[in-house]
Amino acid sequence: MLSEQLLNELHNLNRTEKLRIVQILVNELAVEETSPEMLRQLAVQYEVWSPYDAFGAAHTLQTMLDEYKRDHDQS
Amino acid sequence: MTNPELYPYIQAQDPQGKILSRPLMPLKLENDTQSMVLNGLLDTGATINVLPYEIGLALGLVWSQQNRSVELTGNLAQFEARASILIGVIGQFQPIPLVFAWTRAEGIPLLLGQVNFFAEFDVCFFHARGIFEIQPKVELSS
Repeated sequence: MLSEQLLNELHNLNRTEKLRIVQILVNELAVEETSPEMLRQLAVQYEVWSPYDAFGAAHTLQTMLDEYKRDHDQS
Repeated sequence: MTNPELYPYIQAQDPQGKILSRPLMPLKLENDTQSMVLNGLLDTGATINVLPYEIGLALGLVWSQQNRSVELTGNLAQFEARASILIGVIGQFQPIPLVFAWTRAEGIPLLLGQVNFFAEFDVCFFHARGIFEIQPKVELSS
């Protein structure tokens, strides 16, 4: 939180020091806004269609395939 | 023993114009008298094969006749899916039955996953060379 004391100290800096402070803060913001945490906060969505760990589906498909092969081996 | 076949990675561009190489397997899918030649993404992380809705329709599948529902995960969890069996023809190899989760999702890649694509075929990826090699599984003698 900005305090009056901090603001006064910033106002009393010379031009070079003020520019240096601005540069540091801008760099910090740039890093924060490209960090994974910031991206999550922005609710960016990525399409990952790969159904990994679909174990129930895998079991159903395998059972159906086994039945299909059994029926076609008999015919 | 069947000789392996080599296929090139296929290059695509992402929205930023960056080149991406993908292992896309050309194959023919058959259902009764209908067939279609298309590319399937070799997705070793996918537990199952996934068939996009529009591809199933084009092959003559009828949603109401597929009576086994399956629940998918990830982005596909929001879409209903049903189990369907098609005949897959890969290169010069013997046709085999491929079982799919036929999803209501459209505009997604055809995914070739562990059940049962990778259970039927041995695949070696050589990303740096831009090729992959495939052959029917080799049964281990006991």
